[in-house]
Amino acid sequence: MKRASAWLVSMLIAASTLAVPAQVAAYDAHVWSNSDAFKATCLGFNDTYPQQHYNLSVAQFAKLGYSPVLGALGPGFTRSAFLANVLADYAVYVHSHGDNYWAASGAPNIDSGFLQDPGAGNCNSSKDMVRSSSIKAVTQGSFYNIVIMSTCMLGSNSSTMPAAFEIAKTKQAADYEFYLGYVYHTWDSSSLRFEKAFWSYINGGAPHSRTLAAAFAYAASIGGYEAVSASEPFQANWWGNPTYDGTPLRPAGR
Amino acid sequence: MRLSGTAVNVKWAAGTAAVAVCLIASAGHIAAAPQFSGSEHAGLGTPTRVETALAADADTALFAREVETRDALGFPVGVKRIGRHVLDGFEHAEYDEVTEVDSAGKVQAVTQFDSRGHLRAAARLDAAPASKSRVTRDGAVRSAQKSARAAGLDIGTPTSTQADQATGGWTVHWARMQAGVRVRGDETRVQVWPDGRIQSVARAEHDLAAAPVQRIGSDAARQVASANLDSWSAGRNSGYAIQNVYLEWVGPNAAFDPDRATADEAPYRLAWVAEVKPFGDAANYAWLISLFIDAGDGSIIGGDLVE
Repeated sequence: MKRASAWLVSMLIAASTLAVPAQVAAYDAHVWSNSDAFKATCLGFNDTYPQQHYNLSVAQFAKLGYSPVLGALGPGFTRSAFLANVLADYAVYVHSHGDNYWAASGAPNIDSGFLQDPGAGNCNSSKDMVRSSSIKAVTQGSFYNIVIMSTCMLGSNSSTMPAAFEIAKTKQAADYEFYLGYVYHTWDSSSLRFEKAFWSYINGGAPHSRTLAAAFAYAASIGGYEAVSASEPFQANWWGNPTYDGTPLRPAGR
Repeated sequence: MRLSGTAVNVKWAAGTAAVAVCLIASAGHIAAAPQFSGSEHAGLGTPTRVETALAADADTALFAREVETRDALGFPVGVKRIGRHVLDGFEHAEYDEVTEVDSAGKVQAVTQFDSRGHLRAAARLDAAPASKSRVTRDGAVRSAQKSARAAGLDIGTPTSTQADQATGGWTVHWARMQAGVRVRGDETRVQVWPDGRIQSVARAEHDLAAAPVQRIGSDAARQVASANLDSWSAGRNSGYAIQNVYLEWVGPNAAFDPDRATADEAPYRLAWVAEVKPFGDAANYAWLISLFIDAGDGSIIGGDLVE
């Protein structure tokens, strides 16, 4: 009887907790990875790197404190889903084909982009492009803690992708923001190795005791990255706040 | 970054509302974990890093080696040093690590030694200096050579030197060779800041399996690759052209076969690497593919892809 009473009290407390919207902040993160373009339907083999990158980022964003960590591996990664969700995000990760394309206004203006997942059974084409200009149109005035473009080229100095997330290309930013991308064409094995080292450092030690810039420096330092060619060495790049530790927070959060 | 009050409020309101909805809907599922299909998730899980504290008075040799390395590279001296033994599931490696920590608790430098006590990596993690000028390429190479030797590494003329967009400095590489054959990705790497100081010295080396007693030739490897590529392109609007076939030590991997995924990293094997350029539809988003063909038995043991 006593046990039943205790159970009833517990249930009532739980129910009252559920009925009142809690004022705890959600720090949304979305992890998107294009896998269908790299499946047997299109390439003749199933490339496992999109899933490896996706699994890693989902787990590590959560470990850093972002919640909920949503997004999609495969067909759910559409342009409309990305653009519909990005405004509420604090952290964004994309693994796909990416490049610095000419803008609609023509060369030399650049409008960087990446490809959405083409959907099950389909292959990518240029219609799958998600342009930085489209992202900027929905994110304007907002802020982002962490943006990772795990694609080719979007970490180069000419990339327009950081600006789509209101992140200036400086390594002395005052706001709590960090953008990571790769400068040249990049082997998937190299980007995966780099991201593993990056995450292992930032999420190693006591929680939030290390900076994202130091995690970047650590990952860049360990080496072991295969270059695509002599003219396209493996090279990652970042912009943002050099002292930011990756804690999910709003601009006035500290 | 400029902030619009409206946008901030939208993000905050959306986040709070989302949590409220989640709490009402299901107290047990606040963090909406992504859903995996079982077969896709198998064997490709996420790694962990396990650290065990090492005491300076118990591991005097380790801490002495760290001081020697730190001073040889001109790294900052912390107010305290922290030692750890690390089982690094991210890198499939086991090593001892000592960090230099400043008075604010920030890590200034990290140095790692492998199980044989050899330097694995040393990096300063304080902020790079804002420098308007940059040391010349030759100056960076000289600085890198001097420091790597001071840290106990046996190096000669570098394989390549590249300007680094992230630091504004240089990265100097020495490719690892074994029996005259390059080990894919393995290298000694020194990063040089724009002012000529050393940011990092690292040596990436994987275990190598014994070379096969009998090797298949490059023509046979090309035939294996061609047959594989023919099957890949059959009935599709894409095809593949072999650009080059060359011998390397490579890491077997699960790139094209999830069943090959293992928790442990296998030793590198001697293989023919077929460098393949897609054409047709796939060329729009798959830029380059490499196929690893075991130099002994001609089987496909992995590969890589540039998306």
